[in-house]
Parts: sequence; structure tokens; C-alpha cells
Amino acid sequence: MYQYDEIDQTMVEERVAQFRDQVARRLTGEISEDEFKPLRLQNGLYLQLHAYMLRIAIPYGTLSSRQLRGLAQIGCTYDRGWGHFTTRQNLQYNWIKLEDAPAALADLAKVQMHAIQTSGNCIRNTTTDQFAGAAHDEIEDPRVWCEIIRQWSTFHPEFSFLPRKFKIAVTGSPNDRAAVRVHDIGLRMHKNDAGEIGFEVIVGGGLGRTPFIGKTIRDFLPKQDLLSYLEAILRVYNQFGRRDNLFKARIKILVHEIGIETMREKVEAEFAASKHGALKLPQEAIDQIAVQFAPPAFETLSGISAEYANAFRTDFEFGLWARRNTFKHKQPGYSIVTISLKKEGAPPGDASAEQMNAVADIADRYSFGEIRVTHEQNLVLPHVKHSDLPAVFKALKAWDLATPNVGLASDIIACPGLDYCALANARSIPIAQQIALRFKNWERAHDIGELKIKISGCINACGHHHVGHIGILGVDKAGEEFYQITLGGSADDQAALGDLIGPSLNTHDAVDAIDTLVETYLRLRKSSDERFLDTYRRIGIAPFKEAVYVSA
Amino acid sequence: MAKAPKLNSQPQIVTANDLRSGDTVYLTVTGGWTRRIAEAAVVANVEAGAALLAEAEAQAKQNIVVAPYLIPVDASVTPPKPIQYREVLRAEGPSTETRPAA
Repeated sequence: MYQYDEIDQTMVEERVAQFRDQVARRLTGEISEDEFKPLRLQNGLYLQLHAYMLRIAIPYGTLSSRQLRGLAQIGCTYDRGWGHFTTRQNLQYNWIKLEDAPAALADLAKVQMHAIQTSGNCIRNTTTDQFAGAAHDEIEDPRVWCEIIRQWSTFHPEFSFLPRKFKIAVTGSPNDRAAVRVHDIGLRMHKNDAGEIGFEVIVGGGLGRTPFIGKTIRDFLPKQDLLSYLEAILRVYNQFGRRDNLFKARIKILVHEIGIETMREKVEAEFAASKHGALKLPQEAIDQIAVQFAPPAFETLSGISAEYANAFRTDFEFGLWARRNTFKHKQPGYSIVTISLKKEGAPPGDASAEQMNAVADIADRYSFGEIRVTHEQNLVLPHVKHSDLPAVFKALKAWDLATPNVGLASDIIACPGLDYCALANARSIPIAQQIALRFKNWERAHDIGELKIKISGCINACGHHHVGHIGILGVDKAGEEFYQITLGGSADDQAALGDLIGPSLNTHDAVDAIDTLVETYLRLRKSSDERFLDTYRRIGIAPFKEAVYVSA
Repeated sequence: MAKAPKLNSQPQIVTANDLRSGDTVYLTVTGGWTRRIAEAAVVANVEAGAALLAEAEAQAKQNIVVAPYLIPVDASVTPPKPIQYREVLRAEGPSTETRPAA
């Protein structure tokens, strides 16, 4: 894992000292709220409905056990003992006091973490595949490139006041688990005909008020040109992105308005002028970062582990969990474990400090001390030996962290919604809880199979509802919470935006409608291998619409 | 954020967030701030509402609270109940037990 050097550590510590001074001046009234607000936001501190909220960056979703323990300690000392993992692979604390925020950030700096670039119109924390460095289908570890982007983008003076926020996602696998087509820039690593590895560069994707699937601006970008090319895109956006209208300020609107061809011409012209400049990456610089992401000391294993095979045969619950919550590792004899933070009926993505400490201990014992955060609001143990899986299952189960539902109907993405968020129109957590409870029966849930339900409490779409197989958007209808339902969205390599099925429904009817949609799928699917999304793509919206609105 | 309803001659109170803690607070009849909506000063017309808000804004300038605003309430019940659900949540806290089980 990447370790801070002296420059990183000094930068973060100086930032804490600066913010400590800013908070002190705010509390004495030396600076006004108008002056202070942009400063606190640049340090991840929002004012929400009930309290300040601190959003902590987890760069590319990678955590060490020491860092996770640090987060748990901050949750206990300055918050109410739990945190909320977000769709940006970040962690939010919902009950931070302004006067405590500098101390919380100082504690964070002790474990090489910060809250920089989690807010404001800058390049935000880069996100990636939660299975990076472990997945069997990976071409190359994308975190090397995420870290290079982090070093380039942190406090980049030219891009600190962009027209709007800017999000970059990277996948090193052809099976996109990082939703790269719905980011301002998506980078997909692939091999060209000559066998060289580079990037497909996708631009102008995004969710929110005006969702777009990103468009390919360049099929193949050599690795050493990555920063020059990113800088060219940012420069064009910074110059031509709209600053007259907040709702039209994202790069997706620029790409949509001028068209991808014109965008490409402008970017390529900028790139041509700068590609042989200071940002061309020397191989030694790449290697220096890559070495920090070297694989851990895996054992050489072969054959099937007897412990694993035995547990699979004799322990039904373990078998269910292992089938659903593990993923194929690139190293023989190892698995990737997804820790579900989606126990049916619990708020999606929340973890208590005790659970965080438990996961850190389990990671130390069984996964080289590494943990990942997924954009689907779960955690991951990236490197677990097959023979250790039964013990890991048992240890997780003791902390209510072994729900066998990864990728199933109850593995719901939900934003904090109106229970916490000042922007929300409707609550997300309670409807997620109610829906998840409908799919608590494991037999039914596993029969339904992969089904991604995503819920946002407002049009800003933090809950990614546009790309849910079933998407749910909370709206305010004359003071009452209503929910719009979309179908057929997808965030993977076949990215698509969902289609609205009809008028919004109240909470009770919306929860029933999800059940009806699933029953309709079960009735009309060709076989149990055909996923909800595949059935939808085959038969279209009409039968689903009819089932929800005609039968109602 | 849901659009605040236009206030006319109806019961209304002033709410804000406490600067230091971020807590939801309400202006009281004595010009102080309380975390309990039951202790909020309720006024019943546009003019009185404007005067209450002016007092709150002066206190915001003195760095006691952040971003005060008026909200309509149903004053026929005790304590007064906000009309908008968003404000009910601010008054009562999140609607769901959010602490994970373990």
C-alpha cells in the first residue's frame, strides 16, 4: 500500500494547522459564515440538517487496518460511534462539532488520511475497482494510476476553482466495477493491437439532474501521457465549461452542447501542445509508485483446501455466504471477500466503531492488513486464503457482517436522504430498509439473483438511482414523500440509464411496487440464469409498467 | 432541498443551527436559543415573523447561530409541530435507528 512520504505528511499536517486557525477565527467572529463556508467545505466539513458532517477521503477506496482503526477512534471520540460509507468510497461522520473538527482532522493525519478534495469545485478523490490488485480479470492494478492522479491533482492551482466538481474513476479490468462511464472522466485500461497497455478515455458521463453516459474521447492513450491528457481535458473544461448556470456547469453539459468531436479537437490541440512537456511521466516515476502497490507475500498454493471444501459441504450458511460474497482472486488458493454492510433492515453502508475495529483485526489476521471500500457501500478483504474462509466467515458473523447478499436485492445503495442531508427531498434509508426486509428470505433472494436497487433522496443522485437495475428517486409532492421508479439502468461496461416507469408512488406503494416488479420478472424470465436486467432488456418496460399500474 | 412554503399570517418560528455544535436550535421569547421546539417563540403574522427573523439574523452576525430562517408550524398542538416533514426531522432527529446492531 502507498505510504506517505515527507511531502505528503507535511502537506496534510500544515493543512490541519491552517484549518485549526480558520476555525478559531470563525468561533471568535473574526471571519463571517460567508467567508468561512468555502474554507470548511475545502476540508470536507458540511453543515447538514442536525449537525456538521465530516466527509473523509479514502483515496481509491484502499485502507490499511491501522487507518480503519483510526477511523473507528475518530467515530468514538468525536461522533456517536459509527460512520457511513458512501458511493464515493468515502466515509462520513454525521455528528461532528465544529469546535472538534480540527482535532478530528489532526487524528486523521496521524494515520495518513485527510478530508481534502471531498467537496468544492476541484478534482475530487479518484475512485476505482474495489478488487484492484486482487481480481483475476485485471489487466493491471489501477491504484498506481489513481495515486499518480492524486499527486497531480491535490491542490492543483489551475484546477482549484473549476466551473463545478470533477470526478475521475479508473478501472483496470474489462469488467467495470468502478462505474467509469458515469464519471466526468472514466479511464479504462486495456491492451491495444500491439499488446501495449493504455487507457480508453471516456468523458462527460455523470448522474445528477441531467444524467449522461460518458463518450469515448480517445480509444487508446499511452500510459506516460496520462497526466498530459487529463490536464488537456481539464484545461478545455476550465475554459469553456459554463459558469453562468450551476445546473449546466459540469463537463457533461459542455460535451453535450459542443459535441464529442469538437471536444476532442480542442483537447487534442491542447494535448499536442503539452504532451512533451513536464507532465510526460518518466518510467522511473511510474515504477516508484508501482512498487508501493506490489502484491503482498502470497503463499504458493495448489489444489482445493480441505478446510474450505469441508466447510462448504457441511455448513450450509457458510456455503451460501461463500457463493455470494467471495470473488475469484488472481492468486491461486486465495479469494476476495466482500463484507456486506447491508444486513436486511439496517441502514445501508453504516458501520459501528466496534465493527470497524473487528474488520481491522480480521484483516490483520487473514488479509495482509488490507481493506477496501466499495462504491456499493460495502467493505472488502482483498486477499484471503481459501483455507481461512471458514474462520473469516465465523469472525464476520460474530459482528453481524456476514449477510450473504452481495449483488442481491437487499444489497441496496442508498444515500443518507432526508434523515440527514440538507439537499434531500425524501428519505432514502427507511425505504431501503423496508425493501431489504422484503428480500430477507434467502431462498427467494438467491432465486431472484443479481438485482441492483439504488435509491437517491433527491435529483443529485448520490444513490446512483439512474444506473440501478431498479432505481428509486425520492421527490417531494406537496409536502409528502413520493418515489419515482426507473428500470434498466446499469453502471457496468454496458452502462445504461434507467427508464421511468410512470407516475411517482407514496412510500407504501413504492415498496409494494418493487415486489411486483420482481414477481413480474420471475414470471417472465426465460430461465433462472436470466438476470432481472437481461429480462428487462429482452422484453422492455411494458409488462413491468402494466404490472405496477394496472393491477394497482 | 424542498422549497420553503410562502409564509403568510400563520404560526411561525425561527430555526437555525448552533455555530459551535451544528445542533438544530430555535429562537425563544427571551431572545435566547433552545434545542427544544417546545420552547420556541411562536408568532402569528408576517410582521411579527419578520421582526423575529431580524433578531435572529443579528445573532447570526454575532456568531451564535448559522443561517436562521422562518418555518410554519401547527401551533394548535403542544409542542408546536412543523408543517414541513424536513423540519419535523430536524426537530426530532433521524426517523430511523441508525446505529448498526453490533
